[in-house]
Amino acid sequence: MPLISSGHRKPEPYNLHNFTVLLAEDSVYMQTLISEMLRVFGVGDILTCSDAREAIDLLTITQARASSRHVNKIDILLTDWLMPNGNGEELLSWVRTHENDDIRFMPIIVVSGFTTEKITSATRDLGANEILVKPVSGKLLASRICSVIDTPRAFIETPEFFGPDRRRQDLGFVGENRRNASPSIVEKNI
Amino acid sequence: MTDQKKNDDITVNIYKHRQNPLKNKLGARLLTNEDGHLSSENIKEADKIIAKMCIGCEDHIAQQLEQISTVWNDMKKIEDKALRHEKAQEIFTHAHEIKDIGALCGYTLAAYFAESLRDYISETALNMKNQHIIIQAHIDAMNAVHRGKLKEDGGPVADELKKMVKIAIEKYH
Repeated sequence: MPLISSGHRKPEPYNLHNFTVLLAEDSVYMQTLISEMLRVFGVGDILTCSDAREAIDLLTITQARASSRHVNKIDILLTDWLMPNGNGEELLSWVRTHENDDIRFMPIIVVSGFTTEKITSATRDLGANEILVKPVSGKLLASRICSVIDTPRAFIETPEFFGPDRRRQDLGFVGENRRNASPSIVEKNI
Repeated sequence: MTDQKKNDDITVNIYKHRQNPLKNKLGARLLTNEDGHLSSENIKEADKIIAKMCIGCEDHIAQQLEQISTVWNDMKKIEDKALRHEKAQEIFTHAHEIKDIGALCGYTLAAYFAESLRDYISETALNMKNQHIIIQAHIDAMNAVHRGKLKEDGGPVADELKKMVKIAIEKYH
């Protein structure tokens, strides 16, 4: 049998069996659909709820018990933007102002049926990592999940904002530096 | 305090990841800077789930449409602003659901009218008489789409329906 050099081997696909995902979605139809898709992607544990208040309860209980060997921490939060009893906006604000770092720095993917610039900016300014605009597809959902795994952006904290760096790339700046503040850089294992 | 002083006082904290916690969870062999991927087979499987869910979506859209009509019939009789607002919220939720499912399953026209109704009804300053005409135009259009089983963009019938709703909005909004 001839020996063939394989060269650069394509890495194996991600195996998400260790992952726990919390899905907040009020529509039973969409909740069923997205959780089935996550199951097909191999996500080990999928927690579902139908509004921000339930999500907050689940996050509080799960993260408090996460020290126990039998309870997994939630790794990714997937939330709908519009839900009747506590929406995505409320949930994002709660997460990003939480005192527990596991919750505060949690990757959040907002699933939204709204495509306006206003909503996109709002999700970004409230600290969402990714936005997935409906209609969902296998490829879109996979790409958002891979993005939060592959590119964990630094978190920025200013008096008005806390969340992943909203600049996805450093485009540089030509011109006079008129900024007076020099940021204090806190390196933290998050 | 001067603006200069205010700027000097601003602290920006940058929290950097020393490690990638999610990649850590995937196993040490994946701890490279390369972007990863999910199995293409699994992605195809996920799309099959969407297709399977869409098989029964016509009934689900019909249920939502029926609920919109019921709530709207109640709402028409209510003069109290707060109560009307509650009913408008219900219509908003059902329209939003039709929009999501319609867009997902290729019922583009149903999604189009549902989105238009959702966006219209979310406005707070609604004049009762004008609202009546515009909402009814949307509901009539959605019923026609459903009865005609119009998928995708719907052709000339769709154009007529869109025109009808557009006229209602332009004239009474």
